Amino acid sequence: MTWLIVSLTLRQLLGQRRTWLLVLLALAPVLIAVIFRLTTDGVRDPREFVADGVMSNVMINLVLPLAALIFGTAALGQEFEDGTAPYLFAKPLARWRIAVAKVLAAWMGTAGVVGASVLATGVIALVGGTMDLIVPAFMVAAVLGALAYAALFVCLSVLFERALVIGLIYVFVWEALITSLAPGAAYLSVRAYTLGVARALADTPATIFSAQLGGAASFGALALVVLLTLGYAIRRLGSLEIARRA
Amino acid sequence: MTEPAAGSIYDLGYRRYEGARAGRRRAIWALYADSLRGAFGLGRGTAAKIAPAILIGLALIPAVVQLAIGVLVPADVELITHDDYYNLVKFLLGLYCAVIAPDMVGRDQRNRSLVLYFARAISRLDYAVGKYAAMWTAMLVITLVPQLLLFVGNALSTDDFGGYLGQSWDQLLPIVATAALGAALIASIGLAIAAQTPRRAFATVGIIVTFVFTLALAGVMVGELTTEVTRLAIFASPFNLVEGFSAWMFRVPPSDPDSLLLAAGYPLAPYAAVAVAVTLLGVGLLIRRYQRVEA
Repeated sequence: MTWLIVSLTLRQLLGQRRTWLLVLLALAPVLIAVIFRLTTDGVRDPREFVADGVMSNVMINLVLPLAALIFGTAALGQEFEDGTAPYLFAKPLARWRIAVAKVLAAWMGTAGVVGASVLATGVIALVGGTMDLIVPAFMVAAVLGALAYAALFVCLSVLFERALVIGLIYVFVWEALITSLAPGAAYLSVRAYTLGVARALADTPATIFSAQLGGAASFGALALVVLLTLGYAIRRLGSLEIARRA
Repeated sequence: MTEPAAGSIYDLGYRRYEGARAGRRRAIWALYADSLRGAFGLGRGTAAKIAPAILIGLALIPAVVQLAIGVLVPADVELITHDDYYNLVKFLLGLYCAVIAPDMVGRDQRNRSLVLYFARAISRLDYAVGKYAAMWTAMLVITLVPQLLLFVGNALSTDDFGGYLGQSWDQLLPIVATAALGAALIASIGLAIAAQTPRRAFATVGIIVTFVFTLALAGVMVGELTTEVTRLAIFASPFNLVEGFSAWMFRVPPSDPDSLLLAAGYPLAPYAAVAVAVTLLGVGLLIRRYQRVEA
């Protein structure tokens, strides 16, 4: 039954018009990689361009949170919006299974879109030269980051009707604006954890790509984010009365 | 009361409206005023007020900090200058637009009330123009007000308030001009996108993707690739346009080594020209959308 919800949610998420917007977004880094390949002057280290310029600045900072935001807030939020929530919650199914299924669906959608984009971008820009472990490292980081973001945004959509706007404010005001003004805020941002994981796995010199947080701390923090947000979402969902919000 | 006609069962008491009719201009004004109120969530529930209030508050922070310094520390400190203010708050501008534009044009499509508007004094063109004017005014609140506050803050932080005004009054024209053009540009892009769909989530995501995505694209194309052709990407990014024409209007050439304007190396006047062109294009798309939309 859990898998049924996962597959139904995935079908709903992927069959929408806004998914095309996301595919367009995910194609951007690939396009950049193609242009880079066509115009490269051979002076710059392609590893630095890929790791720092594209993967970190565009993929992890932008494509990943936006994809997770769109899938994460829609996975459960759309059931409320469309009025199908009562039918879902009236099923003889533990609420925690519903929460887990929704997070899984959002995670799979996000990880699929972003992971494919990471793979294509990295291979196009780097193949034929020194690659280190940049592509697999960013693949793993993107997939783990996608899980943390998915859990966070599903949790937001349980708590708030306008989870999308609140998630946008988190991504662009907290993670982008405030962390650039006050670097200490990075200790509370999924983006920094994701970059920390990528750095720990990539095995490249620090001159090419560096992150603020260490590897172990980043893995731990990601796990903590998933556990806390999923736990809270389950708790709130468990006491949610169908009639009140649906 | 006239005599009920023979054959009618009840006199329902219908009457003609005999008062003055305010006309088309007044109808556009009503649409404008009501849309503007709606942008800040006035006359709506608390949930609609929170996000605009937070974003306007955040945009005011730099100006308020400068004002506070000016009042508390009587010394010549100008922490934040007018020309790099937009660079600081660009994400807030984009988010603010993405939050209010979908509500401004989406509700009427969602609730199928367009047919009611178009059946009366307001034409399709009037509707588009009225909504655009409201959006532009709403954007001015987050562009112009903090800048004016910043101006006062800077004036207070000098020893000689009157002297600063006398010396810096020529800053006022670029302050108003950049705010007006920036608001016009962002409002036109935001509304042109939001008008395409009745669903709020689609519109919000579409606007954010447009702003942020072009910014990131320009960052890579100009900052990392630096070839003749890819440098042109800076003109596709609204935030970089705002940065460009601000530098032009304030006559402060970019000096920060990380600045994309410097990396692109174009003269500054074209940024203003492209911004005007994009604004007109956005307004044109908005009007075209309302010529065709099913009421």
